[in-house]
Amino acid sequence: MNGMSNQTNAENNNFSVYEVFSQKTVSASFVHQFSLLAPNAEVALSMARENFLRREPCFNLWVVKRDDILGLAPEERPFLERLDNKSYRETRGYGDLQGRWRHHKEEFEAKHNTGSGS
Amino acid sequence: MGEFLQIKTAQQALKNQEYTQAAVDLLFQLADDDFILAYRGSEWLGLAPHIEEDVAFSSMSQDMMGHAVMYYEMLEQLGAGKADDLAQLRESGAFRNAILVERKNGLGGYNEDPHYDWAYAIVRSYVYGLYKKVRLEALLKSSYTPLVLGSRKILTEHRYHLMHWQVWLKQLANSTPEARGRLEAAIAKVWQDAGELSDLGPNADSIVRFGLIADEATLRQEWLATTQDLFQKAGLEWPGEPGAAPERGRAGVHTADLAQALATLSEVYRIDPAASW
Repeated sequence: MNGMSNQTNAENNNFSVYEVFSQKTVSASFVHQFSLLAPNAEVALSMARENFLRREPCFNLWVVKRDDILGLAPEERPFLERLDNKSYRETRGYGDLQGRWRHHKEEFEAKHNTGSGS
Repeated sequence: MGEFLQIKTAQQALKNQEYTQAAVDLLFQLADDDFILAYRGSEWLGLAPHIEEDVAFSSMSQDMMGHAVMYYEMLEQLGAGKADDLAQLRESGAFRNAILVERKNGLGGYNEDPHYDWAYAIVRSYVYGLYKKVRLEALLKSSYTPLVLGSRKILTEHRYHLMHWQVWLKQLANSTPEARGRLEAAIAKVWQDAGELSDLGPNADSIVRFGLIADEATLRQEWLATTQDLFQKAGLEWPGEPGAAPERGRAGVHTADLAQALATLSEVYRIDPAASW
């Protein structure tokens, strides 16, 4: 069809890829949904809902030009790797805090005879 | 319009023949405007300037078709006939849409070398959409409760449509000289017909007297004031008072374009109107 060639031309000219993020409710986080081609952010925003969110609830939308997003190239991704030997950076260490507290409290009470019996 | 007796249901309306007639006359205008423009919108499928807009425009046309369905169902409840039959089996002369919405999308046909006019699609949708908003807001005060409830629902969806068309209008107005030229030509073309939108038809007095909607002058004044303001903000010259086609769609006098549209859209339905869908 005639229109198809028009569509291809438009995309080849000065259209950019926009990434679309949506928020389901006022308190939800924005979630990346999809990308689309548009000549500018305003047009991208005006097409985002009808293209991919026709059947879902949506509270708010963001569009970001993909070129404006800085990410890691495949050869840079190893930067993210690290050794799994830093349990002190995790809150796991505080997991038995209540048990310890109870232990010391009982010890104190036994020593000073301030338990429930007094 | 607070002084009018509120008619809460179709059953209640049917007790007054004159009221029912006025409601039916208005409902056909509302239903047919949305139905025929939605049909013209559906003819853009695969032809819009780029694929994302193609999806968005088709989706909005489906929404608008849904608005028409709500009105046809109200007509069915008022004894005008089955909703599907009202959309598919009436002849051109029974339609009450304004001439503006029935015009073809441009040169050629959907199946024969379409050279459609995108600027016309945007200006027509936008100018009609602005009138539709004023009309829906007026219907929130209608004496017919089903119309009040239906209009409230439609308004929620219509807000997005208007925003979408407004973005497009702004793009075309501030783009290349070619886009601007096409936009201005489209405005001139839409302006030849747009004035009929606020026409409430031959039974206007009765429609207004029963408090079904505000009078023509009020609707028109509010619509044109809003439109003029928005045109100015988009940097467009105000074309003045819109004219009307020599035919009068609101009185059932249509162009050949409507007959063509109806023949195409109802082709399958007419093969077997009793078939279950």
